[in-house]
Amino acid sequence: MIDVMIIVNGETRCASVAPETTLLALLRDHFGLTGTKIGCDVGDCGACTVIVDDQPVDACLMLAAQADGRRVLTIEGVASKDKLHPLQKAFEESGALQCGFCGPGIILSAKALLDQNPAPTRHEIRDALAGNLCRCTGYAKIVDAVSEVARVYRSEQSRG
Amino acid sequence: MLLAKHGRSAKILAGGTDLLADLKFATQVPDLVIDISRARDLSGIAVTDGGLRIGALVTHSELIASPLIRDMFPALVDAAHSIGAVQTRNVGTLGGNLMTCLPSMDSGPTLLALDARVTAASASGRREFALADLFVGPRKTSLGADELLLDIVIPTQNFGKPAGFQKFGLRKGQALALANAAAIFWMDQSTGRFVEPRIALGAVAPTVIRAPRAEAYLRGRSVTLEAMVEAGRIAATEAKPISDFRASAGYRCDLIAVLVKRALQDALALAQAKQPEAAA
Repeated sequence: MIDVMIIVNGETRCASVAPETTLLALLRDHFGLTGTKIGCDVGDCGACTVIVDDQPVDACLMLAAQADGRRVLTIEGVASKDKLHPLQKAFEESGALQCGFCGPGIILSAKALLDQNPAPTRHEIRDALAGNLCRCTGYAKIVDAVSEVARVYRSEQSRG
Repeated sequence: MLLAKHGRSAKILAGGTDLLADLKFATQVPDLVIDISRARDLSGIAVTDGGLRIGALVTHSELIASPLIRDMFPALVDAAHSIGAVQTRNVGTLGGNLMTCLPSMDSGPTLLALDARVTAASASGRREFALADLFVGPRKTSLGADELLLDIVIPTQNFGKPAGFQKFGLRKGQALALANAAAIFWMDQSTGRFVEPRIALGAVAPTVIRAPRAEAYLRGRSVTLEAMVEAGRIAATEAKPISDFRASAGYRCDLIAVLVKRALQDALALAQAKQPEAAA
C-alpha cells in the first residue's frame, strides 16, 4: 500500500491505497467525490478531468501516487458555499448540458482555460475543450456558455 | 539502480498517459512501476554547448509554452500541439512519446529531421547517440532494460533551420496520425537552392523514417513548388504503410505526398520570414 496526501478542494486529505490506484479511484472510492465521472477510463473522453496544480488532467491517467502532495480541484470545489461559479451559472442559463455527464469535466477544463486566459477566442475555447467529449449537445451551446463568461470577465476587467 | 535489478519486469512511468492506458488492458502487469515524473534533472529546456537540450520529462504543454522552442523550432510546437488534448499534453512527456515508440508518434519526425541526438543512462554509465538509432520497431527502442532516456539534443548547427510539420488525423483533437511528416532545409540565399534537406515520415513504416530519395532529389535543386510536389511524390514511394482500420496503405501514401509538400511549404515560409532579418 502507498500513503498519499493530497489537498482536495483546499482540504488536506490522506489515504492508504494500492499502488495501481488512479487519482480517479482515489477521489471517488476513497474520498466519496463522485462528481468526477468515469467515462472511457483511458484518457479519451475527459469526463474525469480535474485540475492538478492549476492544470487540467485526466484523473483516470494519473496514479494517486503521482498526485501526492499536490493541489487537486474537483467539481465539488468549484462553487462557493451559496453561489454557483459563473461557468456553472452560464451552463445552466444557456442550456449547455443535456444529460450532464460530461459537465464536471468540461467546467473544469473551461475554468483552467479562463484562469490562464480570461479572453480566449472561440477557437481557443474549442481547443481547450477538445479533450472533453459530449455525446448529447454538439458543443455549440457549451462554447457559447464559456464565451459568455469570458465576455463578462473581460467587461469586468475593463471597468477595473 | 532499480532498473538494473528489475530489468524488463519494471516499467518507467514518465507522465503515464500511455503506460496507464496500456496497463488497463494488459494481460501481464509489471512487477514494478518506477515513477520518474518528479526527477528534476530530466526536465528543462536550455541551450547548452552541444545544442538545444530538452529534458526527457518536458511535457508537450511545456514545449508549446517554451519561448525558446517557439522561436527556434515552431514545427516542434505544431507537433506537440497535435498530440492528444490539453489534459494529456499537460502530463505526457516528450521522452515518453519517443520511448513508447509508436510509428504514429508526433514528436519523432521533426526531431529526426533535425538530426537530434539522445542521451541514455544506466548504472554503468551514459551514452549519447542519434535519435534515429533509438527507433527499432513498433513499441521497440534500442535502450537496454537497465537504461533510462535522459534528454534530447538538437545540434547547434541546426539552430534556426527552417522546419515544417504536418499531420493528418481523423479529427482535430484526440487523434493518432494516419500519417505525419516533417520537412527541413536551409535555403541558399544567393542561389535559392535546397541545402541539406531532410524529410521524415511517421505512421507509414514500423518506425518513424527518413525519406532519403526525396532528400537526394531536393539537394541542390531550386526551391520551387514543382520541386516540393515531386519530393512529396517520391517520399510517398519510400513510405511502407500498413492498411488497418484507420486507413488503407494507399490512402496513407497519398497523404504523405500532400503532407511532405505542405511541410516543405511551411519551412519555406519560415525561411522567407527570416530573410529580411538576415539581410539587416
